[in-house]
Amino acid sequence: MRLVANPIRSCLPWIAALLGMVAAATATADENLFGYVKGAETLPEGSRELYQWLTWRTGKGAGHYQALDARTEFEYGVTDRLSVSADLKLQSIDSAGLVIDGYLPGDVDYGLRLQGVEGSVKYNFLSPARDDFGLSTYVSLVYGRLDPHSGQDKDTYSVEAQLLAQKYFLEGQLVWVANVGTEMTHATRAPIPNLPPGFDWTTDPEIEWEWSLGTGASYRFVPNWYVALEAFYQTEFETVVGQERWSVFAGPSVHYGTRRWWATLTWVPQIAGGGEQYAGQTETDLHLIEKTEQEFRFKFGVNFD
Amino acid sequence: MDDAGYRAWIGLPLAAIVAPAHAADYMTPEQAAALFFPQADTQVPLLLKLSKEQRNAIKALSGVRQRDKTQSVWRAEAGGELLGWTVVDDVIGKHEYITYAAAISPGGRVLGIEILSYRETHGGEIRQASWREHFVGKTLQNPFKLDVDIPNISGATLSCRNVTDGVKRLLALQRVALSP
Repeated sequence: MRLVANPIRSCLPWIAALLGMVAAATATADENLFGYVKGAETLPEGSRELYQWLTWRTGKGAGHYQALDARTEFEYGVTDRLSVSADLKLQSIDSAGLVIDGYLPGDVDYGLRLQGVEGSVKYNFLSPARDDFGLSTYVSLVYGRLDPHSGQDKDTYSVEAQLLAQKYFLEGQLVWVANVGTEMTHATRAPIPNLPPGFDWTTDPEIEWEWSLGTGASYRFVPNWYVALEAFYQTEFETVVGQERWSVFAGPSVHYGTRRWWATLTWVPQIAGGGEQYAGQTETDLHLIEKTEQEFRFKFGVNFD
Repeated sequence: MDDAGYRAWIGLPLAAIVAPAHAADYMTPEQAAALFFPQADTQVPLLLKLSKEQRNAIKALSGVRQRDKTQSVWRAEAGGELLGWTVVDDVIGKHEYITYAAAISPGGRVLGIEILSYRETHGGEIRQASWREHFVGKTLQNPFKLDVDIPNISGATLSCRNVTDGVKRLLALQRVALSP
């Protein structure tokens, strides 16, 4: 199997820069104990936090497909209950030997490019430590200029809303979270010249509507170290095809947190999926058009008070 | 991926493992005991061993689980008269244990608390006298509830909650295992 060298290598200077920032930080970050599901806590007033996410998506059951998403997020605590954040998203994709009518028009191979930007707010209604049960809402506005699946040009405007629940057990040694959310997207593909004959590539604006459910539990087995299991279900409906896809991803995380910084490494294979399938798909119990067989995510955070 | 790429990815978790956690130890238990009971002429260290029945009784009285089977206690005396106890305790913080000491009178009243070690990102205010003084005079009859009789500290709610619950648990321990 061919491996993507350039996108990963291109991230190394970012990692080095982040490690340098850790050394300069005067205080440490809050904790993302999970790679995908979110907790209900917000930053204290005046706190600033910088995150770097790297997500590696790989495998579509045929041909060769790898994508690397790099997301840099800055979060600020406006009040003890309200935090705001801004995100910059980049992606690289290497796909070869796989053509899916309507979705993947052909080979693509590029390094990190600007994929989009996102702004979000998180408001905390109930604190998991003070009120026994934590509840927050998360709302984000997203602009995307590249399709994260095909890598082709695609303008998207999305609004996402989530409810985030969190509960502490064993005096905080065990943390449980649950998320429910929905995202509405207006999407317009750019035309592609020289498509294969008969290839369906609609450029009419579409509305995509995604629902998601997620849950996870994280256990601190020794000071500073947590292990977690998380699972999430996603389904998407769109204008032309109705329910286009659904998928369930689940897997473990390991998290390390100190006063100065934290990091979380997560692996989530797709364990079930359905909806549309491409011609000749052999793994028929997965959705592999817009999702991959595996995702790996590394998150790193540092806090500047 | 070439060798350099692999080395970079392998190196990150290794860096996490070898990075030393920053500990902030402010006071020893002996210093706390001397601070709580300056008039004492004798401080007797004890390692209190708690039976299962005692731990169950502590939970029943305080509503908080007694995790440890032993508890370090200093018995303060002056001229042979019992002044009170200094009880050293660990509670869970967000990253590591928070070590604190509580002084309890023979009648089961909090005389003071001191934070011995605190290693968390936020909530350094937990060490300030203005927060700790809210515990002084409390007994098992008090609610020990954040934002009710103990103020919360932003960004350190779990730490505040666990120290608050911990002090209440130590009052129950005093009644179960230290009362004459």
